[in-house]
Amino acid sequence: MSASIEITNVTKRYGALAVLDDISLSIKAGEFVVFLGPSGCGKSTLLRMIAGLEDVTAGTISVAEQRVDTLPPGKRGVAMVFQSYALYPHMTVAQNMSFGLENIGLPKDEIERRVQQAAATLEIAHLLDRKPQKLSGGQRQRVAIGRAIVKEPKAFLFDEPLSNLDAALRGRTRLELAQLHARLGSTMIFVTHDQVEAMTLADRIVIMHNRKIEQIGTPMEIYRRPASRFVAGFVGSPAMNFVPLRSVAANGRTVKIGASGLGEIHAAFRLPASFSPEGASLGIRAEDITVLPAGQTGIALKAEVVERLGDRTLIYGQLADGTKLTAETDGRSEARGGDTLQIALDTTAIHLFDAAGTAHHSEGD
Amino acid sequence: MTDQTTYRPEALTGNRTLLAIAIILSIVMMAPVAWLVGLSIKDNKELMLGTESVFELPYTLVNYVNIIYSSQAFGWFFNSLVVAIGQTTGVLVLASLAGYAFARLEFPFRRTIFVIVLFGLAVPEQAVIIARHQMFNWFGLHNSYIGLMLPGMSSAFGVFLMTQFFKAIPKEIDEAALLDNASPLRIFWKVLLPLTLPAQATLGIFTFLHAWNDYWWPLISATKKEMFTLTIGIASSQTNFAQSEGLGFLSAQAVFASLPVLIVYVIFQRHIVTAVSGGAVK
Repeated sequence: MSASIEITNVTKRYGALAVLDDISLSIKAGEFVVFLGPSGCGKSTLLRMIAGLEDVTAGTISVAEQRVDTLPPGKRGVAMVFQSYALYPHMTVAQNMSFGLENIGLPKDEIERRVQQAAATLEIAHLLDRKPQKLSGGQRQRVAIGRAIVKEPKAFLFDEPLSNLDAALRGRTRLELAQLHARLGSTMIFVTHDQVEAMTLADRIVIMHNRKIEQIGTPMEIYRRPASRFVAGFVGSPAMNFVPLRSVAANGRTVKIGASGLGEIHAAFRLPASFSPEGASLGIRAEDITVLPAGQTGIALKAEVVERLGDRTLIYGQLADGTKLTAETDGRSEARGGDTLQIALDTTAIHLFDAAGTAHHSEGD
Repeated sequence: MTDQTTYRPEALTGNRTLLAIAIILSIVMMAPVAWLVGLSIKDNKELMLGTESVFELPYTLVNYVNIIYSSQAFGWFFNSLVVAIGQTTGVLVLASLAGYAFARLEFPFRRTIFVIVLFGLAVPEQAVIIARHQMFNWFGLHNSYIGLMLPGMSSAFGVFLMTQFFKAIPKEIDEAALLDNASPLRIFWKVLLPLTLPAQATLGIFTFLHAWNDYWWPLISATKKEMFTLTIGIASSQTNFAQSEGLGFLSAQAVFASLPVLIVYVIFQRHIVTAVSGGAVK
């Protein structure tokens, strides 16, 4: 079973302190939505408000077109997986999974059927008689998911459920979650500050910053066409390069851009007449910068640090005027710290950000 | 293979000194107990001539036989058992409920009331004993089990201990139970209370030992011999100041009175050590 979720003009305040400000969001039935943002942006608070663990100061929340923000958590038809798993330590895995079903008075044989089915799905049938302290982190994670599955909820809520796992297990569990979503087809909301989790799991990502939604979009929309300088800088590793603008001159669709250390660049943009280079910046991702072969002339970049990641090489360097820039090249690069390299920018992948941080994307992108 | 462990001579000397101090302290602590046991297995007439006969044969169990046939010790033992178990049960129930409320529920003046409860830790029993005696007199509670148990049930320490223990349980456990559609009472009973068992064991043992050994309040409240607890009963058996008569019998009663405490200690030794060391020993 899956259901749509409608969040309308939701605000959360603790006394005078506003944590979320006028948030509106529609989540389609069966969609996997990830709330992504830095610590303290309000993403977990929004999830907890959907779950009913935090009151709504203003606005409404509906699940399956039924208003739920006035209902207690257990009556909202949602299940949540906590960061710490929050398993009941004194109960066995089977008891942990069946506790919620006992509370709604489900018949014993139905409880047994659901627990066995979920345990088989998650491959934890052999753990049903164990207590949580006898389980590894990954097994606890599965039990926590199993506890949610047996309730057959209208929506699953995940609050940073992978952050307590080691890197290898995190990658594996991420994949399993994606498979689980494909199998169950349920609505899932997943909170994380890890952009890899967001990019790999989400149908849509909701980027949150400073109590507000900064952008909603598919992972590639967020990555290729960030709505703001914050989103552009937050998503992607290494972070997008930002170079201060010196001048902008439009000539039809072609714009002549003067940027610190990059000289003059010609690119296709549809900029508003009010766009001013004052406080504005040019943004380009490291992979959209090409390191030219020896003998070709481009923009000079003095390499300071070279990071070899196997499949690719990251070059952290300085332009002629001291502006910092990161370029990416293939893993076989022989560049070393101290080398002066010649680079070229992919002008179709350039973004311009005005002083307020609003993004304008190259027409060629 | 070379043994990598090295012993510093000063550390070894320090350990030996500590061991010697521990042995001396153990002897100091155990000597009166051994003396008491020795007296309890000697004939009263022999002891009247001099207590040094403890070190000589013959020994006898006649004093223990006399407890069974001629003393009220069994009645007092029963009274102590009722009072200690009743008081322990009461403290566990009240302190758990209060601890849950202070740690988890929202109600007006919660912090103020908690501070008032904590003041109870600072008020010595001696300061309120006359008022309490008067009050129990008005309500006709003296010489009753309820009268003996009631004062010990209001345990400020117990409320404090349980509050802190409930606070230490992650709130996400409650939240998971809320999402599992459990009522506050069910969360308390099925989820949180079982997690407080270590604290309950600690509190229960201390309350039981305190109630069993309590002398002052039973001395005031129980004036009828049939309502004496063991501590008062044994004290009343003391026939004269020098205790030149019936010393063996009195000692046997004291040993008899100590048995439940000894049993509790042996069974719950691990919990007591944990409690005394403040959780440092796991």
